[in-house]
Amino acid sequence: MDNLSNALWIELRKAARSRMPFFTAVGFLLLPLIDAFFMIILKDPELARNAGLISTKAQMIAGTADWATFLSILAQGIAVGGIFLFSLIGAWVFGREFADGTLKDLLALPTSRWTILLAKFIVTVIWFVGLTALVTVVALILGALVGLPSATSELILQGVGHVAFTTILVVAVMTPVAFFASIGRGYLLPLGVAILFVLFANVLAVAGWGGYFPWAVPALYAGAAGDPDAILEPASYWIVFLTGLAGIVGTHLWWNFADQSH
Amino acid sequence: MNHAIETTDLVKRYGKVTAVNEISLQVDEGEIYAFLGLNGAGKTTTIRMLLGMIKPTSGTVTVLGTQVRLGSRQPWASVGYLVETPHAYPELTVYENLEVARRLHPGTERQAISQVIERLGLSNYADRRAGLLSQGNAQRLGLAKALLHNPKLLILDEPINGLDPVGIVEIRELLLELTQQQGVTILMSSHILGEVSLLAQRIGIIHEGRLLQELNYEELKRNRHRRLVVRARDTKAARSALSAVGHPTTLAQDGSIELTDATAINCPDEIATLLVRASTPPTQLMVEEEGLEHYFLRLIGLNNGALNGEMHNGEMHNGQSV
Repeated sequence: MDNLSNALWIELRKAARSRMPFFTAVGFLLLPLIDAFFMIILKDPELARNAGLISTKAQMIAGTADWATFLSILAQGIAVGGIFLFSLIGAWVFGREFADGTLKDLLALPTSRWTILLAKFIVTVIWFVGLTALVTVVALILGALVGLPSATSELILQGVGHVAFTTILVVAVMTPVAFFASIGRGYLLPLGVAILFVLFANVLAVAGWGGYFPWAVPALYAGAAGDPDAILEPASYWIVFLTGLAGIVGTHLWWNFADQSH
Repeated sequence: MNHAIETTDLVKRYGKVTAVNEISLQVDEGEIYAFLGLNGAGKTTTIRMLLGMIKPTSGTVTVLGTQVRLGSRQPWASVGYLVETPHAYPELTVYENLEVARRLHPGTERQAISQVIERLGLSNYADRRAGLLSQGNAQRLGLAKALLHNPKLLILDEPINGLDPVGIVEIRELLLELTQQQGVTILMSSHILGEVSLLAQRIGIIHEGRLLQELNYEELKRNRHRRLVVRARDTKAARSALSAVGHPTTLAQDGSIELTDATAINCPDEIATLLVRASTPPTQLMVEEEGLEHYFLRLIGLNNGALNGEMHNGEMHNGQSV
């Protein structure tokens, strides 16, 4: 791969110099905090009664305050919140070149457009995976702090593995965000599309077609509609894989073969 | 002479709109070639096709001996460019933006950054975030990015946009130095004929997507209309005297007599002698040259070409926006 290390350095430097990593981290850290809050409510029925509607919602989401439930809620949060987070990061990494007018400086270079794109994909994934890892570590600390009943390390590892695979699924289904940032030449389209993804995912999951809609698969895998093995089929994972591939190939084709006249 | 840039019947259509229409041009190595045209004439579209950013509807582009294809890595190691308004990453400093450009051109030494910063007069702004630069300094940064890797060919779209008069002179001298001392080829676009005429060896006039005319400085001078303006106390008698010896005249709105035949323009002294002998001595005698602005407008058909008050006495006038 020609000049990938330099392209990676450039993308990392641009990210590091911006405030986006800080803002996305702060936003995503709400997830374990909310998760821990639910656990506190579930642990203490008195507080649950005083909390009114929130406690009702907490009861709907989770039945008992234990590590399995705690990590399952975290995985579901990553599945849904991750779609928004990934679209935000992707919109910034890819769409900013259009919004800031810097794309033209990336088009006629001895470094190939594919190398630049690959660096962008890698940095987006590192950024997203890094934040989910941070969120997971914070969640584990918070879980211990709120005094969840002790669990075997095997159970916790299983829960963390569940979170990790959910993260991989989100990454796979969200590569098209780069394509939408490119054809939309900025931030709006990828963010709008992410909202539509989640909206349709909910509708199709209710209709029983969620296993075939790639953007519903991460949440279904995370247990948003019960046992994932009863809902998802091998085809579901293939659809996710192909969606990820389509996002990368589509972005590559658009950057290389579409007229860049702005 | 090798061509640094060669296009053959280059066409770009967007639906029914033809942005560029059968442009064929050759830019020789080491020359400065200027595209001159109004906004929307097709200059930037052509430049984007030269740089492989837009695919031509038909026709071919060859740059430094390589046929340009969308997404190709060739021949850009030897090409520096500036397209439309320069943009930089606003959160990065001037130095960091140039570091980004350096890393995208493998093999460019780190010291090239300091050199180009100094060359473009950006030393005081090296650590300033690009988002805080003035328009003129942003333009300088754009040019610095184009020059950073010592390219053999520079493609510059409106390179003096946003620069103050001192900046314009500095950049003009820099570009002339690059061609004269380093043999760099420059293709630039501009809508300022006066500026272009001071820089370019050849000028391509583009209008509504077509290359109307290619000419060098001498041809530009030669093609501009000239006239001899004569004033006399007895205009009627003066005109009769001139007509009698075969000099056709016209009467301008301000009452002056105008002669456009070459003999009169080249020998105004003979016209003076003739009028003195006819007892209608001239009170004013002046050779006027068509202004660059007028010449350009006449060429693209936005002016009927009538010689009027936009004529200028003497040499070219700088900075006339067309």
